[in-house]
Amino acid sequence: MAIRRKRSIFDIIDEYFEGLEEWAERFRETLIERPSWNQKTCTIEPLRDIMVTPTEVIVTVDLPYTEENMIQVKPLDKDTLEITGRMKRKIRFDDFGITQYKGEFQTLHCHTRVPVPVYMEKMEVRFKKGILEIHLPRKHEYEIPIE
Amino acid sequence: MSEEVKITEKKEVPSGAIMLFGFPDVGLVGVIAASHLISELENMEEVAYMDSKLLPPLIVLHEGLPHSPIRIFGNHDVLLAVSETAISADIIYSIMYALIDWGKSKTVKMMISLSGIPIQDRQDIQELKVFAAASSPETLKTVQEKGVEILREGYMVGPQAIMLQRCANIGLPALTLLAQCFFNYPDPEAAAEVLKELTKITGIKVDVSQLLEKGEEIRLRARDVMKRTQQELSKMKKTREYDIPLYVS
Repeated sequence: MAIRRKRSIFDIIDEYFEGLEEWAERFRETLIERPSWNQKTCTIEPLRDIMVTPTEVIVTVDLPYTEENMIQVKPLDKDTLEITGRMKRKIRFDDFGITQYKGEFQTLHCHTRVPVPVYMEKMEVRFKKGILEIHLPRKHEYEIPIE
Repeated sequence: MSEEVKITEKKEVPSGAIMLFGFPDVGLVGVIAASHLISELENMEEVAYMDSKLLPPLIVLHEGLPHSPIRIFGNHDVLLAVSETAISADIIYSIMYALIDWGKSKTVKMMISLSGIPIQDRQDIQELKVFAAASSPETLKTVQEKGVEILREGYMVGPQAIMLQRCANIGLPALTLLAQCFFNYPDPEAAAEVLKELTKITGIKVDVSQLLEKGEEIRLRARDVMKRTQQELSKMKKTREYDIPLYVS
């Protein structure tokens, strides 16, 4: 049977604020509309998805025009990943027939927050058919005993 | 036609055509396939458009001129209804009913919805399957005879579900073709597969080589529409398609 680790009041307060921060992030992401490109940083935000399984978290990112050796995945802290993919060609607004904006892009870039604790250092990455797959084993810090 | 949704004809509309639907859904399969059909088929022109206060306050600008986000293109043999914006769940019935009733008034011989069926680990799959569901046993038999696999059991959510049900009710032959695809990412390969099956069933010849060549460009271009579509799919409870049904009979 699992052994329950005792949590201090500070752990509980920390968790509460972390949860609040996560909620605020989700709220910001869903409610504040912003373009999927950034002229200043010359980056385009790729589409991404997160799946949580009992054993791992799988983050996928759609990275058209990139190749395996042009992708960088960097953990920023214990639950945030930064993904950068350099594209094989420069994309201009003109390419899509858009003339009201100016700018060119050669990088796909995004940050993604992992919703449950994971072992960042055990991250495994693969790239297939333009889709980046990041596998992060889950960290099970607490277990509730069944009595 | 419903008073809240109006379809305005710009040109003479042929009668007895096949009517196709390409609406935003999983993998944007229908929209990508429709867009390719417009550029590949001969003499495809905008023949009608939808006007409705139910639609969001949005127009699509092409060459500086306003267009409805829901338009019908056509030539002698084909009518193609396409939407350039994700349609929210609360207006989808009115939109689909208006299009189907309009198609019926043009004595279309069949309605076919082009779409996708999401599959896990799509990136690991080399050969994508295409499934079909039909409005009647006769139509189902016809596609089975052409070698198309049937979607036997399950749930269907979205415009294609409404189309099948409505056509079954009014006795109009209808089909939904669903190619295995990504749920959340634009999938030009799946669009190419659905078009190959369309050729098999209807004889409408479409070369998909350009579509496959331009795959990366389409994926990059379609990100914003995919993102908006994801939001609507989530409100529509699209993931119900993964559910295992419990039939009473």
